[in-house]
Amino acid sequence: MADETTQAANPALDQLPQRALERLKGMREAGQQSGVFTSDLSVNEFLMVREAGFEPLGMVVGSCIYHVGIQYGSWSKNQELNVLSQAMYHARELAMERMEREAHALAADGVVGVRLEVKRLAWDQNILEFLAIGTAIAHRTGHPGFKGPKGMPFTSDLSGQDFWMLLRAGHRPLSMVMGSCVYHVAHQGVLKSLSNVGQNTEITPFTQAMYDARELAMERMQNEAMAAEAEGVVGVQLHEGSHNWQPHVLEFFAVGTAVKPIEDKALIPEAISPQVVIPVND
Amino acid sequence: MSFINRIFRSAPRDPDAARHIAEQAARDQEWQSCLAQDRLPSFVQRRLADTKSGKLPWVSTTSVGGLLAQRTHGIKPIGLVSGNCWYQFGFSWTRGHYDGWHKAIGRMWQEAAAMGANAIVDVTMKVQRMANTSGQMDYGVLGTAVSIAGLGDSRDPVVATVSALEFARLMEAGIVPVGLAIGAHYQWYYPYQNILGQNLSGVGTGMRMGMGIGMMGGWNQEVTALSEFLTDVRRTAVGQLQSDAARIGTGVLARVEYSEIVPGEEQEGVPPRYLARHIAFGTAVLHNPRHHLPMRLRSVFSVKDGKMTPEVDLNQEVI
Repeated sequence: MADETTQAANPALDQLPQRALERLKGMREAGQQSGVFTSDLSVNEFLMVREAGFEPLGMVVGSCIYHVGIQYGSWSKNQELNVLSQAMYHARELAMERMEREAHALAADGVVGVRLEVKRLAWDQNILEFLAIGTAIAHRTGHPGFKGPKGMPFTSDLSGQDFWMLLRAGHRPLSMVMGSCVYHVAHQGVLKSLSNVGQNTEITPFTQAMYDARELAMERMQNEAMAAEAEGVVGVQLHEGSHNWQPHVLEFFAVGTAVKPIEDKALIPEAISPQVVIPVND
Repeated sequence: MSFINRIFRSAPRDPDAARHIAEQAARDQEWQSCLAQDRLPSFVQRRLADTKSGKLPWVSTTSVGGLLAQRTHGIKPIGLVSGNCWYQFGFSWTRGHYDGWHKAIGRMWQEAAAMGANAIVDVTMKVQRMANTSGQMDYGVLGTAVSIAGLGDSRDPVVATVSALEFARLMEAGIVPVGLAIGAHYQWYYPYQNILGQNLSGVGTGMRMGMGIGMMGGWNQEVTALSEFLTDVRRTAVGQLQSDAARIGTGVLARVEYSEIVPGEEQEGVPPRYLARHIAFGTAVLHNPRHHLPMRLRSVFSVKDGKMTPEVDLNQEVI
């Protein structure tokens, strides 16, 4: 009763939706899907996701602790360490899949702002921790045209702003696609090293190793995008890492968001045309 | 047993691994001959052709904003292109920057040309070093090959470096970014044979009297010889940047610079020498200075901000 009196006494509160009022009064029931959302969106991201017609539902995570298997390699040879490539790929896939399942349980249309991290564990150098974390969102009026492949929520490492912009560009995200290649870069023989002393020269075997590893990672990412029936992949990043391995072993990891044109033309927001914008406080 | 030892244990026996090794050997061979002849290996060519034809999805490093330029300016991403060059500096780290980047860019260009792209946008530059190796590093470039509606295939794509949106912005203003210009120069300074052949105050004199720079006396004074020396090195590098840009364009935008002067190793009884170097990168542009396209400017609220500079990360973590 006391609450209602307060409400009547303060006309500013009349403007608030019932739900916000309940929240302010701390009466929200926990654990309800329609209840409080959690997210790691920034203020701008939150505004743009809502502007695009979506509501955040909750933060979703997937993790995977993976024991990386044994791999043989030859000291003086450039070669892919395919057991390690597969380990890195599989572990990420598991973490992503778990995150997707959480989002699915929230009845989300997709996950934006996904961060995919690999962490070393101090207590065992053969074990790596993989983490996928993002914010699950759903279309406000529940349009079915935004789901990812196989009716699962889409996943994307795009920020809230980029998500908004993607829809404006007439595309929708499908899934994060990845390609991994762990490569052993050959050691140079002593004779070869000596013959190069004092010279400014390219070391072709090393160039080749980097080139080949990148090419393989790219090819795998593209094949994955093809499997997701994407038209293209945006925001591709290429990471090189060594994850505590010995010095000549490195991973090339390509990751991006697979996209396709929005099928339901009625859903495409009005196009915005880029304007000449020149910040004068550069 | 440590992980390192396990990697380098004896060869495996299982047939799958043997087949994998054989495939890799063939691939290796093709890489070797292709790198030597400045060609692209057949498997790279195949992937690029499939990407170009749409059999494989297009790939773009640009942010989503770049897709807007597709709708409004007909700038369409085709595929990601890259090149690298692992370089050993025997006599010059500075000179290595010039050669290494040029080689890497040449390789990236080759990939874009194979797809008939009109331009390469959104170019990032990255260096890699490897632990246990010194005096060498990898120069890598990565960009997105794009086609521009109405232009048809090109056999000589321009290396535009800027993002797709900035490319559109420059095009509207009648300017085309055409490539990366590099200027890199280094020089040693030997105190007794001072560079201008004159008796200079400061280091020159100090050195002859067996003093270090720190012992030049208690008063404020310019170390004139070093000032002039460094200025000279910088001017040469900037001059080189200019002539490198003149090859391809009419000007340079957004320079990134690296500059330092360091003393060389000390030797008994010899005054220290100094190494100065200056490296400058920029985006070369082509425009007509006599032609002015007026732009209508208005103030807007931007949700995304970007820079006009090619991204260079010289402090990449050691691998």
